Amino acid sequence: MNTTLVKSGEYSVIIVEGRVDTTNAGEFEKAVMDVVESGTDKIILDCTGLNYISSSGLRIFLIVHKRMLAKKGCLKLCSLQPGIKEIFDISGFSTIFSIFPDQQTAESD
Amino acid sequence: MIQTVDLCKSFGNLVIFKNINITVQKGECVAVIGPSGTGKSVLFRTIAMLEKPDSGQVFINGTDITRKDININKVREKLGMVYQGFHLFSHLNVIDNITLAPIKVSIMKKQEAQKKAMELLSMVGLTEKASAFPHQLSGGQQQRVAIARSLAMDPDIILFDEPTSALDPSMTGEVLAIIRKLARSGLTMMISTHEMSFAQDVANRVLYIDEKGVYEQGTAHEIFQNPQREKTRMFIRKLKVFSYSITSRGFDMVAMNVQIELFCQKYNIDSRKINHIQLVLEELILEVSGEAEGKQQLKIDFTIEHSEEKGEILITFCYEGEFQNPFEHEEEGDNLGMVLITGVAKNFSHKYEDGRNTININI
Repeated sequence: MNTTLVKSGEYSVIIVEGRVDTTNAGEFEKAVMDVVESGTDKIILDCTGLNYISSSGLRIFLIVHKRMLAKKGCLKLCSLQPGIKEIFDISGFSTIFSIFPDQQTAESD
Repeated sequence: MIQTVDLCKSFGNLVIFKNINITVQKGECVAVIGPSGTGKSVLFRTIAMLEKPDSGQVFINGTDITRKDININKVREKLGMVYQGFHLFSHLNVIDNITLAPIKVSIMKKQEAQKKAMELLSMVGLTEKASAFPHQLSGGQQQRVAIARSLAMDPDIILFDEPTSALDPSMTGEVLAIIRKLARSGLTMMISTHEMSFAQDVANRVLYIDEKGVYEQGTAHEIFQNPQREKTRMFIRKLKVFSYSITSRGFDMVAMNVQIELFCQKYNIDSRKINHIQLVLEELILEVSGEAEGKQQLKIDFTIEHSEEKGEILITFCYEGEFQNPFEHEEEGDNLGMVLITGVAKNFSHKYEDGRNTININI
């Protein structure tokens, strides 16, 4: 798992790559929450390079979502691979998150 | 018709089979299947006394043909054999190959033998090749001549030793069609074959040979649809199996996932399915290790079976301890892991026996 933070307009875009599972969920949580707590209120999680997620990873997405709701921020997901979208659909997370086909669409919405 | 009693055969220190007890009744077609190198051909050659058994007996029509005073050539007049490699005489044309034995042992005059040979060539669809030499025939045609030759002696029994294994797939069908026709005619036959659909279709009974003996036997339906023993199941379903054991909560999940990925890539399992396998296992391990925390030592064994034939994955996940069915969560709360498992699984089940929970999941 690897995360990279880039600024794009008013958004902080966190590019997530690799696997998010029970072995690295804590590391992933810290990387994302550091951005959340840095004062940014508009975050896009770019999942182009995310190729595996388990319940441990989904729970971190949920924690970040709740934190952003609490601070009245905006969290968007984009570019989910079909296999990842399938897991979001099965878990019901597709209805919780704002998911966009790509970063550009996410930013312009 | 054929009976073997405690038949044993070794080559030096290499045991090929031991204590084989087989009975083939008149009119039966028995298929002998099993992995390469398990001694099927040696068994056939031993039944035909082309190999001398170390011990045990072979009875043909009630006569023990392992006895020293038996005229084995006389026995072989009624015991035909068709080999993988055809074994036609290259210097003789087709009709002479077929008539050689009946004329040689004087059971027919030349004219009668030739008439019979032409009938047999008609039966195998090769009348126009009567004057051809073996090198002028395709592999499939040569094997059909070999079958006609074995029938020329009007045998009671024919042993087919992998009759299509030396043939291109395009020629296999023509030979199998002839054997199928013979099976329908009620000729007593034993066939060793790797053509599973053919064996399923034509055999009254199937013997699965492994571990130096008859590992499992039954009707074609029993062996192909509901094999009882593990190796039979693996062979029939062309299963490739990955096994793994976990004995500590601190096990290396990253290393486990790498091994699963390598296994799956070796058998061309697509990445979506690999993710599902890893997801199911991760969630089950979390569920079981979480529930068992502080209670007892963790002991998990799982296998991933890949059926190349059906393209299916079966995960068998076993763990020791108290009854614990993760599909029956009573308390409210976070069952996200189980939601994911049931979402990606085609079907799933749990059973508890002798202090061991077993979960089966098809993907």
